Amino acid sequence: MDSFFYLVMFAGAVAGASTGLLGVYIVGMRMPFIGICISHSAMAGTIYSILLGVNPVWGPVIFSAISSMSLGLVRPGRSRINANVALAIFFNLMLGITFLGIGLMHGSRSEVLGLLWGSLLFVRKSSVVIITIFGLVFVVFAVLFNKELKALLFSRTIASATGVHESFVYCLFLALCGLILAVNLPLVGGLMIFSLITCPAAAAYQICTGHRSVIIASTLFGMASAVIGFLISYYLDLPTGACIVIVSAIVFAVSASYRALRCQCN
Amino acid sequence: MTEGCLSLSNVEVRWSGRTILAVKDMQVRQGEFVGIIGTNGAGKTTLLKVCCGLIRPNRGTVKLDGRDLAELSAWRKANLRKHIGYIPQAAEYNAELPFTLRELVAMGRTSVKALLSRLNKEDYEIIDSWIERLGLSQRRSQTFRSLSGGEQQKALIARAMTQDPEILMLDEPCSNLDFNWKYQITEIIEQLHRETKITVVMVSHETSLLPSVCERVVLLHEGDVLADGDIEEVLESEVLERAYQCRIEMLKLAGRRYTVNKNRM
Repeated sequence: MDSFFYLVMFAGAVAGASTGLLGVYIVGMRMPFIGICISHSAMAGTIYSILLGVNPVWGPVIFSAISSMSLGLVRPGRSRINANVALAIFFNLMLGITFLGIGLMHGSRSEVLGLLWGSLLFVRKSSVVIITIFGLVFVVFAVLFNKELKALLFSRTIASATGVHESFVYCLFLALCGLILAVNLPLVGGLMIFSLITCPAAAAYQICTGHRSVIIASTLFGMASAVIGFLISYYLDLPTGACIVIVSAIVFAVSASYRALRCQCN
Repeated sequence: MTEGCLSLSNVEVRWSGRTILAVKDMQVRQGEFVGIIGTNGAGKTTLLKVCCGLIRPNRGTVKLDGRDLAELSAWRKANLRKHIGYIPQAAEYNAELPFTLRELVAMGRTSVKALLSRLNKEDYEIIDSWIERLGLSQRRSQTFRSLSGGEQQKALIARAMTQDPEILMLDEPCSNLDFNWKYQITEIIEQLHRETKITVVMVSHETSLLPSVCERVVLLHEGDVLADGDIEEVLESEVLERAYQCRIEMLKLAGRRYTVNKNRM
């Protein structure tokens, strides 16, 4: 095994850990659609960057930033439509824009299709540095705003009514969420990133007691799903993205079964 | 009437072209216990949400501590609301998250502390004292989701009280509880009001759940204030019959007022 193998392993571990941590808040706020909306915005951004021949880093960052800010306008108790309905509409719009971009492309579309499943095997050192930096930025944010994020997780309505700076922290969270999804997208892929956000966090919420243990478990589950999925794909010569998705779903299934068994025993 | 700690004037909330709340004038003075009752869809929850700034009315002014909420920036409004204790209905929070009871009660200190600051020993002393005061010490490390409905309400009250609130807003705090828990919860609220002199605005479906310290009742019907005054005046059969559209008899038992639908007798 050469250094590239370890680089890929490290990239997978960082992507899995940061999306696992992000998932704690996205799943906890009962809005997993946020993840899929922003990841598809980032995907649309990448496609239009390729189409316009500009640096493919800026497109997803700009698109995901715009979508994060738009999603921030959906306020609990104040918006006249349900937040999840608004997200579903937004998701469909992003999907439409993405496929319009794909349709406008000429020549080979393999690069674009790679965005759906990601290409962990084509990872570069520079991209690993970027996802690590953004992952660490999110960790710092989660530590600094820990008490506010907990209040938001439990209820944005109560947080807002009782004087927590809910909109400020929520918008900051969405902006970081957009950036993390945008930088991880080329590695993890638009479809796979959604499973890495939801499955590890949902698994952690099944079996943990206390917020800190949820954070640790979800981060580790995300990391393990990415690394184990990659190893399975490497040794059995299977598609990497598909293996990671299946491993993360198995992690959730095991956690849910464990909780069900524990409930029966009690 | 002097300007209260909470005042609403000419407030109107419209939804899809329909007026769902219209309050001409309502003042809540410091230390008052106000009960809000009314039929389903009368606008009780909307009124409470307007009072704490969660819903911005289409017309009129809402003043908290003498300051117009509409004129404040989001940041200043948040600072003003630091001492509002708010307990909504269960649909407004995620009870399925594995927060421990202590973590949940600690959330009450979030707005009191500055952004980026951490809870210190003094905060945890306040948190633990409220957990103990509400008789939840044994449940401290249990998850909120594993508690009974009554214990969850107690935990939410403890959370609100750690904020050191000046005003407590409760939206049907006894819904989905058995009769014993209903009275336990209202007794706790009554005791807190007596001891801390905190202003309380409580929405209730059942007149029997309004504690004896509740001197004033606001009766809503289809978004309008049908009656606002002394509990003896508002909880009169003739007044309630206008809102509930049925024949009502009021029964007074052990200091509480029960409504009986005479059409069903």
